[in-house]
Amino acid sequence: MIKVSKMIEIDSINKVYKNEGFETNVLKGISVSVDEGDYVSIIGPSGSGKSTLMTILGCLGQATSGTYLLGGEEVGKLKDYDLSRIRNEKIGFVFQAFHLLPGVSAFDNVMMPLIYCNKIPDDAQERVKQALIRVGLEHRMAHTPGQLSGGEQQRVTIARSLINDPKIILADEPTGNLDSKNGAEIMRVFDQLNAEGRTIIIITHDSFVSEHARRILTLRDGQIVSDKINENFKEPQAGLARVEVK
Amino acid sequence: MRILRNLRQALHGLKLNKGNTFLMTLGVMIGIASLTVIVAIGEGTKSTVLERIANMGFGPESFSVYSGGGRLFFGRNRNITSMTLQDADDIRAMPGVAIVVPRQRKRMRIINKKEFTTTRVYGVSPEWQPARQWKVVDGEFFNDMDMDRKRKVIVLGNTPARKIFGEKDPLGKKIRVGQVFFEVIGLLETKGLTESGYDPDDRALIPLTTAMSRLFRQAHLHSIKVVSTSSDIVRQTMEGVTQVLRRNHGLSPLADDDFRFVTPEGIMQWVTESEQALNRMLLLISTVSLLVGGVVIMNILLVSIRERIREIGVRRCFGARRTDITQQFLFESVLVSLLGGAMGSVVGWVLSSSLKYFDFLPVKITLDPFVLAFGFSMVVGLIFGIHPARKAASLSPDETIR
Repeated sequence: MIKVSKMIEIDSINKVYKNEGFETNVLKGISVSVDEGDYVSIIGPSGSGKSTLMTILGCLGQATSGTYLLGGEEVGKLKDYDLSRIRNEKIGFVFQAFHLLPGVSAFDNVMMPLIYCNKIPDDAQERVKQALIRVGLEHRMAHTPGQLSGGEQQRVTIARSLINDPKIILADEPTGNLDSKNGAEIMRVFDQLNAEGRTIIIITHDSFVSEHARRILTLRDGQIVSDKINENFKEPQAGLARVEVK
Repeated sequence: MRILRNLRQALHGLKLNKGNTFLMTLGVMIGIASLTVIVAIGEGTKSTVLERIANMGFGPESFSVYSGGGRLFFGRNRNITSMTLQDADDIRAMPGVAIVVPRQRKRMRIINKKEFTTTRVYGVSPEWQPARQWKVVDGEFFNDMDMDRKRKVIVLGNTPARKIFGEKDPLGKKIRVGQVFFEVIGLLETKGLTESGYDPDDRALIPLTTAMSRLFRQAHLHSIKVVSTSSDIVRQTMEGVTQVLRRNHGLSPLADDDFRFVTPEGIMQWVTESEQALNRMLLLISTVSLLVGGVVIMNILLVSIRERIREIGVRRCFGARRTDITQQFLFESVLVSLLGGAMGSVVGWVLSSSLKYFDFLPVKITLDPFVLAFGFSMVVGLIFGIHPARKAASLSPDETIR
């Protein structure tokens, strides 16, 4: 029997935002664990706490209470310095609005996470090149975000999220700004990344997107109301990760 | 090295935000340009004063005593008429006094037919020439006989001679000074314009007695130049002169002197004091202008951070530490400040050179303000960049990425 290790374990996570004397309890005692190599989508209506959960999972913000183990390491109480290191080494982010650096080439955008490594790898340039080839953008390396289509920009963000070879990819509405064709293309990339063994967590409204995941968590009013295995999940085939450019 | 990578990101940042970079540069540029121009004017003024002192013909053994109390060139009362030829004679009789030159002076128009110019006309004794060690290149200087006979003879400096005679030989010609005709008997050696534009050749000399009785029609002297036998006894001589003049002018022990000394030492001290005051003023102006430049940088950087909040968030998402963000924005501030400093230096140099070229103001361009500009702009960048940089770094990644 194959032993699967836990990638993420959160227990009784609460997140309270305080603003001008008012307190908003966004996450209410959430406990969930994600195995290494799992493919999870988190769905829920607006205001259910999806994005807040993602910021906590991505070590971008800290929970008000509860514990968070990432790869067995308690990250809930780490200092900013260590959280930065974890974000750099273990997590790759993909955003709905792409969040590419404007005016900077696709190549330099993908390179960006590497400049915050303690030591830039000797093969950094080659790695960036390969990451862009992998998402089918070898002919767009010198293009700036303004010169790329939405689908191409999202592929750049995926290449950027992969550049440090993270164990987890966190994607927040990755197809939200794309048409259905480009959305399907992007989801195919996620499927293939998961087939390679990466843990993928996608936050989405879109049922088409959530259907790609092996497991679907539903969030409502800051609580997980459902955690089910997707029966329609089709095991993707690894080794076909290169996106065809059309 | 991580710090160099952040420097590179700062360069990228400046390149990408050209508008803000330009505005930030402009603030420092104006500050540094004004600093360099003001320093150049200050240096030029100082240089002018020093050259004028040099052109007064002072040696270490000489000094002048001017009519009217006060200090140096700043007489308390210009209408004092107490200094007379008797004073000059009494000073001449003192031990340790080598040369005494009593003087009168007035700015007057001199005319040769239709040509005229205004120049400084001095009534002096023949000792003026050895005291100033100023050669006569054509003709001769007036002598004691000219003095005794109150002859209407004049020795011209090069400037008035050229202006009213052109290329013609002025020797033996008659010119009119005021309403009195004089014969030109000599031409002074040309000294040439000083760097600051002062013209020592712009003068004409007549016998003192002629000046007193025929031209200026006044008995009192403007000043007396005294040359001691040795520089060691200048102070003693001055004390002696004080006694003579106070006695001759009938001053009571409680009364202030109605004359004042002008010595090379005194002038130097005055120049030093003036320079210090000028430097304090320069420092104040420069500080204010640089503070303005610094505040401009700070405000624009703060606005820029607001505009670039997503960029900061993305960098933080992908592993940038607070120190990375601090360094990046601090580098941007320092780089923009240095760029402003460099541009300000160029603008300052061009403006200073123009002032000099068009002869608006005495200007002396030295390297010092440009070295200072480099240091100042770096300090301004650092000081005014700290707050925005820390503010950018303090932003929480989850808030910046939303």
